[in-house]
Amino acid sequence: MKDTLILAFESSCDETSVAVIKNGKEILSNIIATQIKSHQRFGGVVPEVASRHHVEQITVCTDLALKEAKVTYDDLDAVAVTYGPGLVGSLLIGIMAAKSIAFAHSLPLIKVNHLAGHIYAANLVSDLQYPFMSLIVSGGHTEIVKVSAPGEFERLGDTRDDAVGEAFDKIGRVLGLKYPAGKQIDEMAQLGKDTFNFPRAMLQEDNLDFSFSGLKSAFINTVHHADQIGEELDKNDLATSFQECVIDILTEKTFRALKDNPVKQLVVAGGVAANSGLKKRFTDEIKKRNLDLELIVPPIRLCGDNAAMIGAAAQVEFEKGNFADLDLNADPSLDL
Amino acid sequence: MKTLAFDTSNTQLSISIDADNQQLASFFSDEKKTHSVTLLPAIKQCLQEANLDIKDIDEIIVAQGPGSFTGVRIAVTTAKTLAWTLDVDLKGVSSLALIASNIKDEDKIIVPYFDARRSNVFAGAYQLVDGKLIECVADGHYVIDDLIEKLQELENEVVFVGPEIEELTTKANTKLTKVEFSSDNDPDAHNLVKLAEQVQPVEDIDAFIPTYLRYTKAEYDWLKTKHKADDDGYVQRV
Repeated sequence: MKDTLILAFESSCDETSVAVIKNGKEILSNIIATQIKSHQRFGGVVPEVASRHHVEQITVCTDLALKEAKVTYDDLDAVAVTYGPGLVGSLLIGIMAAKSIAFAHSLPLIKVNHLAGHIYAANLVSDLQYPFMSLIVSGGHTEIVKVSAPGEFERLGDTRDDAVGEAFDKIGRVLGLKYPAGKQIDEMAQLGKDTFNFPRAMLQEDNLDFSFSGLKSAFINTVHHADQIGEELDKNDLATSFQECVIDILTEKTFRALKDNPVKQLVVAGGVAANSGLKKRFTDEIKKRNLDLELIVPPIRLCGDNAAMIGAAAQVEFEKGNFADLDLNADPSLDL
Repeated sequence: MKTLAFDTSNTQLSISIDADNQQLASFFSDEKKTHSVTLLPAIKQCLQEANLDIKDIDEIIVAQGPGSFTGVRIAVTTAKTLAWTLDVDLKGVSSLALIASNIKDEDKIIVPYFDARRSNVFAGAYQLVDGKLIECVADGHYVIDDLIEKLQELENEVVFVGPEIEELTTKANTKLTKVEFSSDNDPDAHNLVKLAEQVQPVEDIDAFIPTYLRYTKAEYDWLKTKHKADDDGYVQRV
């Protein structure tokens, strides 16, 4: 069978990324330009600034992606792009660039859901077997999704308020950490103890949804109260207590989903999947519960936003013959 | 020489395909439609009408701003990507000059403007000399009062061209001696071709960005409080 080469674009938030992916499995290139340093000035992503950076980066990244993959337009079979969810101004840059290239070289265009991208990052490191379960944890999303067949998603659980990555960033600010705070909190959490016993929200409720705003408030109140009475709290213990609480909630709800929907694989994807505590807990619990379950956590580079995962998800649509038209628009609040 | 020219700086969308200054096809819309949806299908339609393939185009000309931030980004991203991927020349023209080119009066100062809200406008001042637009007040983001002050210094008849802004009309009528207002503010991309004759092709297409003429609020506050502008290193390849 002939190989399929897809040129993929991702620009949904603060990374401009362009990749060339072979057969949805092999990364020929995956160029990522991150704007973190720019948004650190403001303590979080400023949408208008993000859009401006994408325009600066888009052709540079595309050029590097094609050169590193050593392919020309003639070699390509399709152009793929994230069309949502995400920041509308950011999404539009990838969309306009992808449409322009598809049009200029008469290539089919494939629209990709960013969340499908996160899930299919797993296909770049393992062979997916349907049905499988996935937990998407990032700065914008906290979702349990069952994938019953290629490109067929069923959302079983979602966050009612903050995304988990957002909670990390918000409590990071309280701890005086730089945005994004996830990695630093993970490191601090290795050094402390769970002494604060923050509330495990929604574990009593009989559903697969999440809530992190209560935890965030409890954390902030604890720190403020200590400040007022002049008590010094151990920051590592705070980090551990927060992270353990988050991990308890994420793993417990995921195992509930797995109990009702027995599958052979669990994909944990999105930026927060890079959290070492979360990965360790899943590994330990799978062993402890004696489950016949393969845990797939893509490497950090494929957990954060990147175009390789968009190319992997696009392969599914390519095989189904699902192509988009030149009137493709951004859909900032797109669901799976 | 075949050119593709377009403008999406404001609510209107204008496209023109020309061969040696003769228009072959055009498209205009001022419906409140999303430029991101309309632009490429409209370009495709124009090419079909002109009986051309996108690969026949030798040069792309775009209205580079100022204007709606999203609007200019859509045009600039499309123009730079097309020019880069087709390996053809790219030229950027002021979106304000494009509006100024609607006025064919050599005796007056032509002042194109866009509403930037809260007593602000994006505006410039031009004079038509031997058929060429010469800039006499640089395109900028101006408080209406400051713009009028600059125009007073020119001591000439002025014709404003832009959407109706009551504050601008009132203040201009009070402070300027001879002033006219034109509502002929629909962009015509065909005029971009002529304006581009005065413009050199972009040397570094990667670095081509919209002329925003205004920092984002976050950057403005950040610069104001404690920092110096240093545009390097904010985006890193990882």
